[in-house]
Amino acid sequence: MLSRAAASLFWMARYLERMEIQARLLDVSLTMALIDVPEDREEQLSVPLLVSGTRDQFWQFHDEVTPQRLIDFLLLDDRHDASVFSMMRHARDNALHVRGNLSSDVWESINRTWLELKDLSRRGVRESNASSVFDWVRERSHTFRGAVYGTLLRNDAFHFLRLGTFIERADTTARVLDIRHVMATQSMAEHSTRSFFEWTALLHSLAAFEAYQNTYGHNLEPMNVAELLVLSADVPRSLHSCLKEISSLLEQVESGRAQRARRLASSLYANIRYGDRDYIAERGLHSYLVDFLGRIQHIADQIQKDYTGW
Amino acid sequence: MLIEPPAEGLYDELFDSDNRVRPHCRMLEQWLIHSDEDLIAEKRREADVLFQRLGITFNAYGEEQGADRLIPFDLIPRVISAADWQKLQAGLRQRVQALNRFLFDIYHDYDIVRAGVISAEQVFANPQYQPGMQQMKLPRNLYAHIAGIDLIRHNDGDFYVLEDNLRCPSGVSYMLENRRMMMRLFPELFAQTPVAPVDHYPNLLGETLRAASLKPDPTVVVLTPGRFNSAYFEHAFLARQMGVELVEGPDLFVRDNRVFMKTTIGPQQVDVIYRRIDDDFLDPLAGNPDSLLGVPGLYAAYRSGHVVLANAMGTGVADDKSIYPYVPDMIRFYLNEEPILKNVPTWQCRKEKDLQYVLEHLEELVVKEAQGAGGYGMLIGPKASRKELATFRALLKAKPENYIAQPTLSLSTCPTFVNDGIAPRHLDLRPFVLSGKKIQMVPGGLTRVALKEGSLVVNSSQGGGTKDTWVLEDDRC
Repeated sequence: MLSRAAASLFWMARYLERMEIQARLLDVSLTMALIDVPEDREEQLSVPLLVSGTRDQFWQFHDEVTPQRLIDFLLLDDRHDASVFSMMRHARDNALHVRGNLSSDVWESINRTWLELKDLSRRGVRESNASSVFDWVRERSHTFRGAVYGTLLRNDAFHFLRLGTFIERADTTARVLDIRHVMATQSMAEHSTRSFFEWTALLHSLAAFEAYQNTYGHNLEPMNVAELLVLSADVPRSLHSCLKEISSLLEQVESGRAQRARRLASSLYANIRYGDRDYIAERGLHSYLVDFLGRIQHIADQIQKDYTGW
Repeated sequence: MLIEPPAEGLYDELFDSDNRVRPHCRMLEQWLIHSDEDLIAEKRREADVLFQRLGITFNAYGEEQGADRLIPFDLIPRVISAADWQKLQAGLRQRVQALNRFLFDIYHDYDIVRAGVISAEQVFANPQYQPGMQQMKLPRNLYAHIAGIDLIRHNDGDFYVLEDNLRCPSGVSYMLENRRMMMRLFPELFAQTPVAPVDHYPNLLGETLRAASLKPDPTVVVLTPGRFNSAYFEHAFLARQMGVELVEGPDLFVRDNRVFMKTTIGPQQVDVIYRRIDDDFLDPLAGNPDSLLGVPGLYAAYRSGHVVLANAMGTGVADDKSIYPYVPDMIRFYLNEEPILKNVPTWQCRKEKDLQYVLEHLEELVVKEAQGAGGYGMLIGPKASRKELATFRALLKAKPENYIAQPTLSLSTCPTFVNDGIAPRHLDLRPFVLSGKKIQMVPGGLTRVALKEGSLVVNSSQGGGTKDTWVLEDDRC
């Protein structure tokens, strides 16, 4: 397939994945801000800004962080690239570029999301209806995934698209885990009653709350949470699951060009697959995740170089 | 619903001059009369939503990019009888065959010029003539693989060719999507009417493009200027339907006079390029040096015969409005046949006598630029203001060779949904003719309709819409 098409599919999928996680993070932060005492509210609301790396930009446009302002900034503001609106526009632009490689169902699911989002941006989103908008984003994301699974030929278009999804997912899971794990551990140290909510916020952000309860029961232990989101092969958003997919997809891509990306991915996958919680505890989760983020970035760069960098 | 009767003196596709429904349209008339207004309104809204969702939109030039406008789609189909189509098909075949012969001739032997049928100046001094194409050998001597022939029906009931489009004719995706939409909205209509299918067009196009190369299994691509082009949707649509890559200029490169595309498994040679980019933009080294759309070196690769362009370079000379008056002569000259389809009488303002006639009868005539397209830069005498007439009079005197004039034709009408019911509106027809191992076409074409009352301009850039075009397989129904 065309190198340009591979790059467009890769980025289209990254934007769509990023959009879903953005909605989840916002949803959780707004809920937490309701629970929190006023002085902690700003910290809660800042989480989605930290994950998307847009805190400085936010303060360029605003002088205080309130739920409504956060909604405005991260949902519909087209002045920066991290809003749902901008991400969707980029995703659709990329989809337009590769229409020839997409099934009608996949294209229509993306185009329809874009049309509805444009409509939504004309009407605006208030704090009171924000939840239903987050639900809508998640549903559109599910529809996209369903269309991809149900109708796309299992060729390189599918492989590059899925690579984009899992690279993005690995990256955001690591970021969210890093930021929220620190917050939750702190609240535990302060013996705050909030600590329960902090842990559940982390798990909800990554759609892993039910998974945790199934695996560990009700007791919220910091190392259990880390183990679940890093090492568990069964949680769809864990680093383990993402790396498993990435290395298997790289094997399936039709080409011998990608030895480097394959080597990097397999080595990181092996680290996680045979890793254990004691090592993470010893090294410290934060340092572990910083290292992970560097390596996943390296893999993403290498994929682009191997397949499209010419 | 009530149908406003057609105006007197015009040919209507549904009703005859005594306002009786034409026999082959009886089914359609019954359907219209018995359709409920609310239901139709609902179906119209549904069609709009579906077209938006499919992304069948276009960007009109001079508007904000990405404005994504829909071409209005009218739910009432335009019906062509089996008998009419038989004649049209034979006529189109004949015409396109002669045009391809003409293109071969003017780049090889110049017989038609030697015989004095067309003057050398009109061929060789034409800005669309590509001297670089002289003596170049093309597979099957084919130049216009894909032709879109614009026809109108005059009040005498006959079809006339208005224009031959031999460069990058567009609109075929609307023909296909309009049919799909109608079948989705009104399946019951198709159960009762023997409408000839058009859906196999992409298959025929793929066959034609593969036949454009003499290689056994050539690699075909569609070359588009990119997603900001007004017809991008169509380029992507056709590539997907044919199962070939949709490429932009930067996806291709030339090495050793061969064209390759950049793929994830390395360079892959390309044999046939269905290009939707004009001649001048194909290769910055040979044409417009500022073009970012093209591929450096493509022209040299083409000249060396390692890649085929469809359509060939230099076809524009044959669809030029100043060459148009000679097409009937070409048919007689090359095929020794009488033309089946009529040409519109045309005055060539380059000729002194013609110019004089045009200036004297400007109020009755349509004046067009010989190189114009898209309904821009034309004058419709009977509808023009005094000021417009004066402007054109001055233009004609200054550069007569740039213009041709034709009588104002009364384009046929067809009932069309308008704001307050159903009223007659003017329309034309563009069938698509494919030349490969043989000449093929699907029964039908793109019907464009002028939605403004009385308007004769059907171009989508000027507020025109489209209709589904039904060619009947059998007139007895």
